[in-house]
This record gives sequence, C-alpha cells and structure tokens, in this order.
Amino acid sequence: MQGLYDKVEAAAAFIRQAWKGTPHAGVILGTGLGSLVKHIQEEASLEYGEIPHFPKSTAISHRGRLVCGKLAGLPVVAMGGRFHMYEGYPLDQITLPVRVMKALGAKLLVVSNACGGMNPYYHGGDIMLIDDHINLMGANPLIGINDDRLGPRFPDMCEPYCKKLIARALEIARRENIVAHQGVFVAVSGPNLETRAEYRFLRMIGADVVGMSTVPEVIVAVHAGLSVVGFSIITDMCLPDALEPADVSKIIATANAAEPNLTKLVLGVLAGEKPQ
Amino acid sequence: MNPDATSSESSHRTTAAAATVRAALKSDAKTAVILGTGLGDLADEIAVEATIAYRDIPGFPRSTALAHKGRLVCGRLGETPVIMMQGRCHLYEGYGLDDITLPTRVLLALGIETLIVTNAAGGVNPDYCVGDVMLIDDHINLMWLRALKPEAPAKESAANPSLARQASKRVRLYDAALATHAEQIARRNDFPLRRGVYLSVTGPSYETRAEYSAFRRMGADCVGMSTVPEVLVAAAAGVKVLGLSTVTNVARPDAPQTVSAEEVVEVAATALPKVRAIVQGIVGRASGRP
Repeated sequence: MQGLYDKVEAAAAFIRQAWKGTPHAGVILGTGLGSLVKHIQEEASLEYGEIPHFPKSTAISHRGRLVCGKLAGLPVVAMGGRFHMYEGYPLDQITLPVRVMKALGAKLLVVSNACGGMNPYYHGGDIMLIDDHINLMGANPLIGINDDRLGPRFPDMCEPYCKKLIARALEIARRENIVAHQGVFVAVSGPNLETRAEYRFLRMIGADVVGMSTVPEVIVAVHAGLSVVGFSIITDMCLPDALEPADVSKIIATANAAEPNLTKLVLGVLAGEKPQ
Repeated sequence: MNPDATSSESSHRTTAAAATVRAALKSDAKTAVILGTGLGDLADEIAVEATIAYRDIPGFPRSTALAHKGRLVCGRLGETPVIMMQGRCHLYEGYGLDDITLPTRVLLALGIETLIVTNAAGGVNPDYCVGDVMLIDDHINLMWLRALKPEAPAKESAANPSLARQASKRVRLYDAALATHAEQIARRNDFPLRRGVYLSVTGPSYETRAEYSAFRRMGADCVGMSTVPEVLVAAAAGVKVLGLSTVTNVARPDAPQTVSAEEVVEVAATALPKVRAIVQGIVGRASGRP
C-alpha cells in the first residue's frame, strides 16, 4: 500500500478541479445497472482514462465514466462501470476509486452488482440487500504494509453493511411493492461461472448469491471508515440440480429490467440521508 | 512470492541466513519455538545465550505487526538448548511465501527436529472460550498459496536426510505423539486443552459473520492468519510439529461483537501460562533423551 496515499490524493485533486462539490455518497454501479447514472443531475463528468491512476474498464456493458452531481438532492460521485479482478487488475487498483471517494469527502458507499441466485426462494429480477459477505476471491485488497492515514491494520468486519440502511431500503421496498431479500453475498474471482458442485458448496457454506465483484470495494470502504449499503440484482438462478447454461445477454436484460426497482431503492436510501 | 525464484536461489538465501545464525549460536538446539501474538514473553524464560535481531540476519523478513518483536532468542530452557522466534511475518504484510517461510527453512538448516508453532486465533467453535488453548490437530489452508515447491524444503533439510525420507511416508502434518504428550501436560497442570482444526486466511481484515459461519461449516474450530506456511515447510522436511492456538475471541455470528487488535493482544496473555506449561514440558522431554 506504499504510494497509495499519494495516488489517491492525486486522483482526488484532479477531480476537484472539474467539480467543486463534496460528495455525501459514492456510487458504484454493476453489470447492466449503469443507467442509474441518468438520474444524476450531472455537474461534471470525467472519463476514467483522464483521471490519474484510474484503471480502464474492459468488461461488457460497463461504461468508463465518473459522474459528479446531485442524486436525490445529495451530492454524489458515481462510477458508471467498475473494475473486476477477472480483468486482471490488482485489487488495490480496483478499489482506488473508493479511496478517492473518501478523499473527496464521501461518508457512504452505495454498491450494486449483478449476481447469481443460489437461495431457492429467490427469483431472477429480485433484489437482495447484502447483509454480509464471504470473501472467496483468493485475495484481499489490504495486503501490504498498512498506511495508517488510510485506515487501521486489522479492520473489524463485524458489520460491514450498515443495518440501518438495510432496514431503510427494505422499508422502501415494502412500500413500493418490490421483492427485496436480505442475504449473504459470496465473492469469487471468476471469470468462469461456477460448476454445479461449486454452487452446492457455496450454498452449503451459507451464501445466498454469488458474484465476481463488490467485496474488494466493501473491504476498502470499511477500512476507510465509510458506511456501506449493497444491492445485488439476481440476474439468473443458479440451482445446481436444475442448472441451465448462462446467457450473458439474458443476464444483462434481466439486470436492465430490474433497474427501475434498484433506482427507487437507491434514491429512497439517499433521500433518507438528508437531515430531517 | 516471486514466481521466477528458483529453488536454488531460495536455497542460497537460506544457507546465507543460516550461516549467520549458526555463527552466533552457543549450543546445538534440536527444538525451536515460533512465538505468536501475545506469547513473545515466553522467550524471557530461557537462559539466554544469544539474541539475534532479524535485521542482522541477511534476507530475513522483518515483522511490522503489532506486538511482534523480531528476533531469535537462543539459549536453554532447563537443560535443553532451544531457539525461540520472537515475532513472525505474515502474508498480510505483503511478504511473499519465500519470505514467510525463510525463518522455518533456516531452522531446518540448523538441524531442528521438533518445531512448536504458536499463534493467536479466533474461535469459530462456539464451545470455545476466550483464553482457551487449542492443540492444532489439523489445518485447512484458505490462504490461496501458490503451491510450495515440494523438492525445495527436502533439499534444504539435507542436514536431516533421513527425516525428510520419513516425511514422505507421513499422513499427519502435526505429530501425534507430541499431541498426546501435550494433552498429558494439560491434564497434569489441570487446564482444559482443546483439540481442533485451524483454518488459515491471509487477512488483514477480520472475518465477517458470514465467513465465521462458512468456516464453521467447513469444519474449522479456529481461524488465524499464520502458521500454515511454516508447518507445511517443516512437516515436508520431516520435522515433528506441535501447533498451539490461543483463543483470543470467540465468534458468535448471531451475537457479533467488535474486535480490536489491542484486546486480542491482552486476552492472548491469559493463555500464556498454559502455553508455557506445554512448551516447557515438550522441550524438557526433547532434552537429550532419545
């Protein structure tokens, strides 16, 4: 983690030149969910390529743009398109944007992802509030000499996802008649999808959904002292005894279809952040 | 780990470091103890003959972790020559596997035949209590280590070729006779000694509730961030290994509490007398008697 602090400061300084605001929240949007950005009253927009030390996203259906502006009346910085371990990026690079959000003044991280549902009570298109996670990516973004300016050596992971925000999102879901669950997200590196045996194993160890992102960003957010709320869109069901071949275009279509619901929940959670 | 590092490079590093340590040693130790978090004080109880700071040993990695000192303390416990490692390095500090296991390979090169490895761990078994000591019966490696080169440690333990030959026939990493002896010591000293499975992760973030549950379902009793790389290297070379975990917190995923690193260090100290009794007993028996 040596040199990381300076990289974060350099990226934050560059963004401050384009946008004078102080974000309340950072928003990271997952596969098929980038159009939430359209709801932002845009005040500035930066290509990842121009921001110092930002990597460039290569994943399908991810846009590489940082949007600064107001969402639900709150100042936010939003990433349209995120970085994945399976693209070959080291985790400290993947999570750099989270540290930059913190450096800009953010208090809250909103993350979303598309995931496979393993809990048989879930259905494609449902939303799950991430209650907790299991890191099976085989890596941790905090490995290295710790820079105490960025966070503690051994961050506690007792409550990585803010209970209060989960409750608020679930309340909005009930009010809006949206199916929303609360469960455990397990992160793997990918990029291959899981075998039937792996799905059974992941279910057995207590996971409800599986995905290839989010956990590195959340670990860094906890390290940096940000509150986190995480949304998973179940884009396909991964039931090992009735497994169908995954169809990426179908997965993205399901994510897109679920997006209005996700948008309602994110906007509602942010609206609740405003001082009463 | 540098994937291009050949075993001969790593072997050369071991030889250089071992030569430095050997030059400082006053007696020929067959037993070594790696002291984990909160257990460093055990080194104060030996009649010290030599102290070697890690920074004075060429190529030795230096610990940046809380409560880890970073020196070899060599001397006698009772009559028995022993080497104690006060402080160890961890994968979460950014060290590679070659760095992490170098101290163990140096101990092998010095002719160690018995290794006691200790650590502070989180209890995943809900029956465990803070301050308990667990005898490591076996481990689960979730550190995602690139496979250790099996021939490297065997070659480096050329000092003990017969031990290495025995190792290839062994199914247990943790020596059964040492474990039985440790259990006897615990009964004689009237404290409960747990026996269970240690699961290792890289850290440095502590586990989530979901991870504790997952590890329990996988069959783990304790979880920690060390020990497994050292044990793999030592056991492959035929060294008899005894592993002890001090339980510094017990994960109750349904009633979670926050953990601070300082608390971990403090509670680990209450397990100290138990670990001391076992170390003294095992080292004492290793003395001279074949």
